[in-house]
Amino acid sequence: MSDVVVNEIETYLPALRRYAWALMRNRYDADDLVHDCVARALDKLHTRREDADMRAWLFTIMHNLFISQHRRRKARPETELLDDTHDHAARSEPSQEDRLHWRDMLRALERLPEEQRTVVLLVSVEDLSYAETASVLGVPIGTVMSRLARGRERLRQFTDSDVRPQLRRVK
Amino acid sequence: MDPISEDDLHAFVDDQLTAERREHVVRHLREHPDDSARVSSYIALRGALRAALAEQVDGPIPSRLNPHVIAHQIRSRRTIWSAAAAVVLAFGLGGGGGWYLRASITPKPSSMAMLLQEAVANHIVYTADRRRPTELGPDQRDDLARWVSNRMNRQVAPPDLSSAGYKYLGGRLAATNSGPAGMFMYQNEHNIRLTIFVRPVGIDGNAPIEHVGSGVLDGFGWVSKGIGYSVVAAVPSDELQKVAEEVQRLVEPRA
Repeated sequence: MSDVVVNEIETYLPALRRYAWALMRNRYDADDLVHDCVARALDKLHTRREDADMRAWLFTIMHNLFISQHRRRKARPETELLDDTHDHAARSEPSQEDRLHWRDMLRALERLPEEQRTVVLLVSVEDLSYAETASVLGVPIGTVMSRLARGRERLRQFTDSDVRPQLRRVK
Repeated sequence: MDPISEDDLHAFVDDQLTAERREHVVRHLREHPDDSARVSSYIALRGALRAALAEQVDGPIPSRLNPHVIAHQIRSRRTIWSAAAAVVLAFGLGGGGGWYLRASITPKPSSMAMLLQEAVANHIVYTADRRRPTELGPDQRDDLARWVSNRMNRQVAPPDLSSAGYKYLGGRLAATNSGPAGMFMYQNEHNIRLTIFVRPVGIDGNAPIEHVGSGVLDGFGWVSKGIGYSVVAAVPSDELQKVAEEVQRLVEPRA
């Protein structure tokens, strides 16, 4: 365990927490998942190929942990979707409008089937390439592309009808 | 040139196209307002998703997720297990093993080194015990102090180390070649366990605090009015030294 590698892992913590949050949908389970992922990664460092991309490797570990440990758990009820334990006071406040929009965004994300949600997140939030996403999820690139297309289209429909019903009426 | 596919539109949104292909997509979008509207809303979704998730995990990262902390825990767990395995192996091999053990852990039998060896041996055995690391728990602190003090014929008590970030877990009476000893166990917020090991050293004097490496775990020891104290934990020695000095300050008899 060289310090260089540990430092590198540290730089990906925000990304890991973001992805874990989107998978678990509450802060405590998400941070447990991040903890397990980092511990597993450090424990298995010797099995990692030298040239393997660290970020994609970490996401792969997290995804596998999520599948093996957490998938069977029932999804949390929708009321827990937004993490109200969060302390907003210390930071500059986003506008109320932004916040409502984000809330709707997360609700829509919640309604996606898990296989589409993971692809949308890895590609459009975590900026993984399609090939990296395929390798993290252990599926062919073609599957990634079709899940991405279906996931995005659904998100667009959910948010169009949920967020801007008035626009729909105008159409 | 291949016709523009659905995949191309997504790769455009995710900026994963070659410059050349990108130009073709831009031209296609100019000519197909429906696709153009769809791509625009995908790009907007992408931005909104990022903002919404960033908001959720904003704020300081809990220290338990710090990879340096986790790496340290893994290292100390490995050290303890390999040490415990070595002890088991040595005892398990009977006579020959006993000889080997004596040869390997008693290179110079100064009383301080001896105390630290006993402290480390007990530390390894009891801190690794997840179910019952202590004989008397934190709610029986006074009972333990009385028990250990009676057996050693000296007044000792587990100090409160909460100021140093260690919570008291309890303790036990321990056996050594030099008679009964007391062991007090603590744990910090990273679940790293620390033990204070204490017994009379047979001379009624004082010895200043010193760092003793046992080859497995390091510790600090000193003698105060004929009672030998040691502090052992799998933490960096500068950190351990601060705790040891705090223990020394707390157990020092008031003048």
